Amino acid sequence: MFPGRRQACHRRAVGAGRVRAMSDLFEGLLRPYDERRRAELVAAYMAVEHAAEPVPEVRFPALREPALRRALEEMLALTGRTLVRAAPKEWTSGYRDDVHAALAADPSCTPPAEDRAVLTLVLVHSVAIPRAAGLLGEDTWRSAHPAGADELRRRSQLPVGELDAALRRLRAAGLVTQVKAGAGDAGGYVPGPQFHRLTPAARRRLQEELILAAGPDSPLAAAVRTRRAAEAQQGDPA
Amino acid sequence: MSVDVGVLARARARARVLGAVAVPVTAPVPSGLSGVPDGDRVWLLPVWPDGATPAVLEQYETPPMPLDRAGQQRRVLAAALRCCWTRLDDAPWPGEAAPVADVLSVYAHLARGDADLARRWATGELRRLTDTGWLLLDEDAATVRTGPRTAQWPAETLASLRDLLRRLPGPEPLHA
Repeated sequence: MFPGRRQACHRRAVGAGRVRAMSDLFEGLLRPYDERRRAELVAAYMAVEHAAEPVPEVRFPALREPALRRALEEMLALTGRTLVRAAPKEWTSGYRDDVHAALAADPSCTPPAEDRAVLTLVLVHSVAIPRAAGLLGEDTWRSAHPAGADELRRRSQLPVGELDAALRRLRAAGLVTQVKAGAGDAGGYVPGPQFHRLTPAARRRLQEELILAAGPDSPLAAAVRTRRAAEAQQGDPA
Repeated sequence: MSVDVGVLARARARARVLGAVAVPVTAPVPSGLSGVPDGDRVWLLPVWPDGATPAVLEQYETPPMPLDRAGQQRRVLAAALRCCWTRLDDAPWPGEAAPVADVLSVYAHLARGDADLARRWATGELRRLTDTGWLLLDEDAATVRTGPRTAQWPAETLASLRDLLRRLPGPEPLHA
């Protein structure tokens, strides 16, 4: 369960002689650490970047110890990423807010319109509506209230083939999770594990977008638009 | 963080979003990405510290991102490797182009149930494995090659994969 026996076992040269990896990327940050610390940092880096769900800090010393956590944050920053605390003592990683803004403005980095439309529908039905009914907390994007497949078919205005293709891409990207039908439950789709990776600013932005999508004429939506206009005037992108 | 470092970080983040992307061989490989040469182009892939791979997660009993029909996808990848990685003493990359029909016939040995359905599923998996850089499917030529991500497999971890592929029956002659 705990590192010890496996420390340093993942230190090795990448594809020697075949692929010239630019493995110096992290060297400057890792060099000051001894073998054990270094292995702990690398393990925590791979865990927050590649695990499906947030990882508990009890298993990863580099997440537990503030000094190592700062080094880990610097490693992630090299690729535009940052640590995200998904729950008390649980960590994952996500895009830094400044990097996210640049990527969102790049058309080659944004998913097709139909995928975004289907994801919005899933979020409206699995998060916004249960949240309005008091069934979900204010700041959570994980839901136990699936958007029904029938509901998506009725509301998406997409041919079934395109809807299914969009859902398949969203599943593959970890943006939605399919919930199988069970006893007394029709199954459907809920937000996927990627929603753990939102920074606090990204969560707030998404919440505002959902308000604008689900209730464009509501007083809340008007407040969001007013605040954004004021921020734009001040030249504050956040 | 200086402007340059920020620009580089954004370029690496962009590469992550786009997945395996090829650039002309004359283009510089951005610092912090791995360049996998492929004729007149270079595939840009992420690099991980100290040569670690996501397989590290297994040592920590931490599940990776789930795949749809993971078993089926693995079997299709194995069938493609059986056909494209024929010189097993060499590295899997760049491998050789093999007819999709050969891959599907190898896959037929590994799949159960309706053969036509299995072929259709397998074709879908070939596309998905191409999207993620594990294979390179050329739909016009109806051929498939190993993908640039296989170049990142550490040489010392390939022994069990070689054993598996040696045991796997090869493609059946088309007009037997």
